Amino acid sequence: MDKRKAATDADLIELSKEDPESFGILIERYQGPLFHYIRRISQLPKDDIDDLLQEVFIKIYQKLNEYSETLKFSSWAYRIAHNHVVDYFRKTSARPQTNAMEDYEWEKMIKSSVHIEKDIMDKDCVKKVKKCIQDMPLMYKEILILRFIEEKEYEEIMDILKKPKSSVATLIRRGRKLLVKKMKEQNINCF
Amino acid sequence: MKNLIQDTIEKIEKQHIAPEPGWKYLMKKYGLWLLFATVLILAALSFSIIFDNAKNLDWDLYRFTHQGRFSYFLSILPYFWIIPIAIFLAAAFFEIRKTETGYRYSWPKILLITAGGIAVFGSFALFFGFGGRLNSKLTEKIPFYRQHMLVTKESQWMRPAKGFLAGTIILAAKNKLEIKDLNDKRWDISLDEKTLIKPSANISQNKMIKIIGEKKDGGNFKAQEIRPWAGRGMGNGRMINGK
Repeated sequence: MDKRKAATDADLIELSKEDPESFGILIERYQGPLFHYIRRISQLPKDDIDDLLQEVFIKIYQKLNEYSETLKFSSWAYRIAHNHVVDYFRKTSARPQTNAMEDYEWEKMIKSSVHIEKDIMDKDCVKKVKKCIQDMPLMYKEILILRFIEEKEYEEIMDILKKPKSSVATLIRRGRKLLVKKMKEQNINCF
Repeated sequence: MKNLIQDTIEKIEKQHIAPEPGWKYLMKKYGLWLLFATVLILAALSFSIIFDNAKNLDWDLYRFTHQGRFSYFLSILPYFWIIPIAIFLAAAFFEIRKTETGYRYSWPKILLITAGGIAVFGSFALFFGFGGRLNSKLTEKIPFYRQHMLVTKESQWMRPAKGFLAGTIILAAKNKLEIKDLNDKRWDISLDEKTLIKPSANISQNKMIKIIGEKKDGGNFKAQEIRPWAGRGMGNGRMINGK
């Protein structure tokens, strides 16, 4: 088991095809990042996220033969998680819930999205901006989460969302613009 | 969190969940590329037919039909082949996008690659005569295609009422020709000192020519300009009196 823990993702994928126990190491490696990613984009309660996460890992296991080393395993796993969450919302017709993000995550996103350098002291102001972000369409919200909270590179976002780099850049730009517009509409000018 | 690993592995083992076979993904992957190649070949063939047909047309006839250059150009465009090319181009575009790494390319790049591919393969098909052969077969075997789907050289020159006629010379005299048109109808062609005969037009028996002029009553046609069957005849030509 210890030897396997040092193995690369690609080696573990090969081992997992024969032995599900090896897949456990991959789960161990990625359960944290994927849990937080699903939490941030879905804004669902913890139990629902756990269920979704297990379904995501089973999907990853079923698709192991589809994986190609032309992209990072983490990007591929995030892509499956993204598609699964989108499917979940489509099937349940539910909109993402709110307030599942931690305060530091909101702050990080607000600061990066609207280019604020100083610390945000006014909690009431942050609350208002949170509301603006929550009201944004999922595609803009998700891309801002991937870029500013997950701190993914453009190439990784491109692989996760299966969009060309130019579209990723456009979505980030539009997401930021939309947020600033919403803030102006709400007369939020407290930074 | 710890339970997730155990629960997932247990579920996998209990429900006998296994990775889907690799051949399924390989088939999808190569199937997409095969479909892309097929669509590209079909588009390239359409492209070569368009150019084969276009090179046989006379593009200057608008001067004799009192039409604008642009409206004449629009009237002879081969829409029957342009529409499939557009469809094939769109299909090829979406097929590339669906491939494993197709999303990494921006749409102008994919469009450029696809359109470039169609142009390159189409030029090969044109060069090796595939477009011409296919077009000839379709024209020969499917009358509807010949009559309604495409402006061909034949349809362009078999409009005596509009002043365009083509056929094979049966008899050639000084001021008179007798020809058999493409539908085997006989015509008496009158020539005068104003009739322009293009340099490479061979006015002798069994030679095919194209005539621009005016239809008179019955099977009579007054020639204003005579061109060889192939091409526009080049140069300014000569008058019937040799000037």
